[in-house]
Amino acid sequence: MTNYGLVIDQERCIGCQTCAVTCKQENNVPMGQFWNRVLTVGGDHIDTPEGSYPEDGESGDLDMQYQPTACQHCENAPCVKVCPVNATYKRDDGIVEIDYDKCIGCRYCMAACPYNARVFNWDEPQHLPEEGTGDVEERPQGVVEKCTFCSHRVEEGLDPACAVNCPADARIFGDLDDETSTVSKYVNEYNTEQLLDEKGTDPNTYYVQGEMTPGRTWTSDKLESELDEQPTAEEAGDPDSEKSMQGATADPVWGDD
Amino acid sequence: MSGEVTERSATSTARSPVLSSFGVVSKVWLGLLGVLLVAGLGAWAYQLQQGLVVTGMRNVFSWGLYIMLFVMFVGLSAGGLIISSAPKFFHSDRYEGFARLGVLVSLACIIVAGLLILPDIGRPERLYQFFTSPDFRSPMVWDFGIVVLYGVLNVWYLWLLTRRDLAARGSRLAFGAEDTQAGRDRDRKLLFWTAAVALPTAVMLHSVTGWIFATQVGRGDWFSPLVAPVFIAKALVSGLGLLLVVSILADRYTGFDADRDELTSLGKMLGIFLAFHVVYLLAAERLPHAWADHFGFWAITSEFLIGDSVYFWLWTGVGGALPLVLLATPQLRKRLSVIFVAGVLAVFGTLFEGVRLVFTGYESVNIDAAPGISLGGEYAGVTTDIWATTGAYTPTVIELMVTAGIVAFGALIVTVGLRFVPLQRRTEQERYAPDGGGGGCD
Repeated sequence: MTNYGLVIDQERCIGCQTCAVTCKQENNVPMGQFWNRVLTVGGDHIDTPEGSYPEDGESGDLDMQYQPTACQHCENAPCVKVCPVNATYKRDDGIVEIDYDKCIGCRYCMAACPYNARVFNWDEPQHLPEEGTGDVEERPQGVVEKCTFCSHRVEEGLDPACAVNCPADARIFGDLDDETSTVSKYVNEYNTEQLLDEKGTDPNTYYVQGEMTPGRTWTSDKLESELDEQPTAEEAGDPDSEKSMQGATADPVWGDD
Repeated sequence: MSGEVTERSATSTARSPVLSSFGVVSKVWLGLLGVLLVAGLGAWAYQLQQGLVVTGMRNVFSWGLYIMLFVMFVGLSAGGLIISSAPKFFHSDRYEGFARLGVLVSLACIIVAGLLILPDIGRPERLYQFFTSPDFRSPMVWDFGIVVLYGVLNVWYLWLLTRRDLAARGSRLAFGAEDTQAGRDRDRKLLFWTAAVALPTAVMLHSVTGWIFATQVGRGDWFSPLVAPVFIAKALVSGLGLLLVVSILADRYTGFDADRDELTSLGKMLGIFLAFHVVYLLAAERLPHAWADHFGFWAITSEFLIGDSVYFWLWTGVGGALPLVLLATPQLRKRLSVIFVAGVLAVFGTLFEGVRLVFTGYESVNIDAAPGISLGGEYAGVTTDIWATTGAYTPTVIELMVTAGIVAFGALIVTVGLRFVPLQRRTEQERYAPDGGGGGCD
């Protein structure tokens, strides 16, 4: 079985918002809404750190991290369990998706989602340009929508737009059930966290912290499983290999600041 | 059943509506309700066309007044049914005079609760999906089922209570039932069994409504096993409070005669419910959190005793402590005016309990890093601030109008019921007609 998941390497992420914007374009996300947000974990505002500036010869403790956040595609997805009409469901391939023709707009799923990943079309969705962007299903007023792991791309053998377009190669998409996939290797070999894991939702999205991974090692926009050869995947998962050292100076000090 | 009731011949026990006609006051009242109803329908039509953007709800705070009041009216629907069915289940004639009015009020409240869901739904034309594609894991499906069952049960109960009297009056609402002694005896058995079904159904209704919230891991204090028992207690408090208020109003303005001793006794019961709900259950909910979150004795104590929001104080102070003191003071609690005020305050308090519950879930978010969550709606160009890291909510005029319209519909049901449903014994009513202001609605 296939069980799609996403690894986000927070040590690689540079907070450029490209994934957030490319998601908006690819999925024709209405104005005023975001499916994918790049959060600043640190100060009270975007791109600001917490802690104090180094003064009087003391070393400061400024700290900041970026946390791109979208639907986590949980294994035990509360949003799926609360939907009264089966409009939102977990696909066999692990993607949590919404049937926009079924959704009654009760917003129980928004109450259920601990990540606030879902948005509701409070009015007639506006798009810029007006005719919209991307090749995705239209969502009317009065329904809930959210990240689909770009299921329309995945079905064509392509990686999600956010993964392909990340300039830092910080987003790696693949099959968590395939032990040889890059996502599985990173989850096994690096320090990864699932957001709010104490809630027991068991997300299919994993965040790498501490040591930097080699990231998404293929430049093709294809899914890893669709690549003709998988030359880098083998080495990519091995943090001690030559290749990974090139991709990242595995220096925690550099990574933390 | 006491001998007194069975001794009477079938026709002499026949009861009649407590409003014999709609007088001037009644017509003004009905007119006011009609205006509210039409205004509410208009506001809902506007909301359907514009979208829920005309409400105060947004992506972070995505349930508002409609759900707060749904929770409240589900609770309010408890009183009448429990007051009428609990004694019947135990073969007692206590509070018999309140039974029919109580079930009428319960029915109106559960209809209001059900209707309040409609404007909250983004695409109400798809509600048939509840039948064609239900997910039985969803507490909302459970609640949909139990609200419908409870509504049907109320209709059946009210009809069963009154059908012999309707027949005696030649009403078509008797639907073929005849006013015979044998029929009345058989109905008493049926009433026992209906009561036996109604009590657990009421318990389920309030528990399941609580579980809508209590099953959710993502919304702060919603995720608590105490929510269902608290909802039961809240239903007892607010339902009984409303029944007392409506009874006293009906006693004042219609031919309905509320027995003073029983009112006093029900008032005392309200006091006990309030003590259990607002003092005991709330303390049981707060103490473990206060203890675990703080270290010093006084820090624990103050966290335990001091509430966090104005809704908390409106509920526990104005709607809890105050009516409790009124009902606990022997010199006061026998006065009709005091029972009335205590009932109003108890209902008022539980309104804010529902408000507080929804705020508890939405005012803070689990992941509150900047820039936050996109709010959606009202995008007005690149300078629009679409982000929020906390939830804020104020109902709009549209929400208030829709809500007022639905509540007016409930009041309309009760008013029409007072006019057409045989609620009280004619013999007694005639004896007490001057005191009760029989026929003197205006």
